[in-house]
Amino acid sequence: MTTTLAGGRAARRQTMRRIRPRRSPAVPLLLAVWAGALGVLGLWWHNTPSIADDNSRILNAGRITGLLAGYLMALVVLQMARVPALERRVGSDRVARWHAMSGRYTLCLVFAHIVLIMWGYALQAGRSLGDIVQQTVDSINQLPDMGKAAVGAGLFVLIGLTSIGGVRRRLPYDTWYHVHLLTYAAVFLTFWHQITTGNDFAVEPMAKTFWYGLYGAVTALVIWYRAITPVRLNLRHRMRVEAVIEETPGIVSVLIGGRKLHRMGAEAGQFFRWRFLAPGMRFSSHPYSLSAAPRPDMLRITVKAIGDHSARLRELTPGTRVWAEGPYGALTASRRSRGKVLLVAGGAGITPMRALFETLPGASGDLTLLYRANTTQDLALWDELAAIAKQRGARLMYAVNSPEGERPDISADTLQRKIPDIDRHDVFLCGPPGFAQTVFEALRGAGVPARRIHHESFEM
Amino acid sequence: MRKSHPLRRIVLATAATVSGVVLLLSLKPASDPASASAAAPQQPAAGQEAPQGGAQAAGATVTGDVAQTQYGAVQVRLTVSNGKITKAEAVQAPEGGTSDQKTALAVPRLNQEAVAAQSARIDAVSGATYTSNGYKQSLQSALDQVRAAADASSAPASSAPAASRTLTGKVAQTQYGAVQVRLTVSNGKITKAEAVQAPEGGTSAQKTALAVPRLNQEAVAAQSARIDAVSGATYTSNGYKQSLQSALDQAGG
Repeated sequence: MTTTLAGGRAARRQTMRRIRPRRSPAVPLLLAVWAGALGVLGLWWHNTPSIADDNSRILNAGRITGLLAGYLMALVVLQMARVPALERRVGSDRVARWHAMSGRYTLCLVFAHIVLIMWGYALQAGRSLGDIVQQTVDSINQLPDMGKAAVGAGLFVLIGLTSIGGVRRRLPYDTWYHVHLLTYAAVFLTFWHQITTGNDFAVEPMAKTFWYGLYGAVTALVIWYRAITPVRLNLRHRMRVEAVIEETPGIVSVLIGGRKLHRMGAEAGQFFRWRFLAPGMRFSSHPYSLSAAPRPDMLRITVKAIGDHSARLRELTPGTRVWAEGPYGALTASRRSRGKVLLVAGGAGITPMRALFETLPGASGDLTLLYRANTTQDLALWDELAAIAKQRGARLMYAVNSPEGERPDISADTLQRKIPDIDRHDVFLCGPPGFAQTVFEALRGAGVPARRIHHESFEM
Repeated sequence: MRKSHPLRRIVLATAATVSGVVLLLSLKPASDPASASAAAPQQPAAGQEAPQGGAQAAGATVTGDVAQTQYGAVQVRLTVSNGKITKAEAVQAPEGGTSDQKTALAVPRLNQEAVAAQSARIDAVSGATYTSNGYKQSLQSALDQVRAAADASSAPASSAPAASRTLTGKVAQTQYGAVQVRLTVSNGKITKAEAVQAPEGGTSAQKTALAVPRLNQEAVAAQSARIDAVSGATYTSNGYKQSLQSALDQAGG
């Protein structure tokens, strides 16, 4: 298409016609979540006629935290159900951050709920706070479904501990991930005591129906999008490794062939979670961006060998079967709102930028790619980028360290000098966290509004 | 991609949650306004159902107060003909999981017992203690209404409303919660005693269900605050006696 579009006003108009920025559904979703939380609190309010003393205050605080925890627990699981609306419209990175944040908060509510309720029961039974352990044991023995709930709570402790920042960094990713999968068991085990011992669900059949509906819907979404959808995708497309190419020292491209790959609906800028069915690799899946626009018979990922997994990619043999889940990610052309676009890539962050550079609609002079790497040898895919730039009439710039190892100056001033109308651009940004932060601040300084800086970050 | 401040976020989330919960708890009244105001008009309503005993012959229904148990609410409805309970049924009973099972097991038996005993002195169904106690509590409140209606209709129609008045004692605080007694006095006699407030929740609910109906009966029987404490519910009994005495002081004064 780019060959037919050569500058001029008609071409610009044609480009703009294709730009239909889609608003992220994040705000309405968050409003719905808050409304649900208010509804849950309303349920408690409605079923609690009065609070006479400290003992009932403690018990009711326990009920409130328990109800909120039960509600949020369903949403925390939902955030990881890989629902396309969340993954592709809100963005996988943002949803993952929501998940981490709300997950921690929910676990805190769960533990507050346990302590408050057991404390309240202990006081009610005329025991002191010191007997809270004995009270807990009694309650587990006497109340329905509390045994299950106790096992679930134990799992939550384990999941919480392995997700504490310091612990998680020291654990191998796979260990952490498999412990994290126990969340499903924990949620299942703790669900039943909510229904059988929860006063609000016993009194209000409507509330009980709603609770079953909430958990039922989340279960259905998880099964559909985490199990059935990937199976269908992989049965249909049957992907295999075609070739492995070393781009620069430490950066490899993997070409993946399959059937009717264009039917997967992947867009430039998106990623898949890849699992290579080779010895030692089949038990973990990793997210890698497409480094070229998807073709009907071929997908390409380009990966920097930093971890165990990415280093092994180099040894993949053609014909190895590939299990992919996706496409995910919201860093696509639909985020764009302006005619002019600046793409900024840092190191391995070039992969989605490379695909966008190739496919973003634009007239000659609309696209600019700024590529940051340590040395010119580290500029992976440079030849391809230069060819695309030439063909499309796009600008291609790079910034590398000086021979003395000095970092290039990427500041508001230099950006403005290089691209005088930078404040009228949409900016797509991908790179390591520190780099992304620096560039983000420089862009803001150069007058680019935050809503037009599109960025994906998988840091928690 | 604003700078994240994890510590600030944690402090904010904790402060918001704690203050939200405390605010919600503090907004709730200490005594139940619904039950206090609902209980008062219930009496004349029960009376209206049975003008001069005419409707009672045809079988009037009286619904007891809702009793909260650990597993849910219990509420009993009685059908009364000629001052006799001809039918007892549970309008509300705990539901869900094992509660369904227990309700199915216990409620029919409790209904039979209530009709057979013509009072709230019925045995608890073993394995469904909480439900049984809730049932007895609601049954007692329904019986109280039946008796009040009977008293009202047996008294001369013109003097009945004027002669009977209710007196509410002071709130007595006990270790497990507040106790407050309300008396209905007709012609200088206590015709009815009831607890407007009593300890709730968990084992307290059990004890309240056990003790309050008995204390109510004792108060009517003794026509004074010199009543025996119910064993196993000493605190509630003492609170009850205290509040009862303050109500009696009002009656005497």
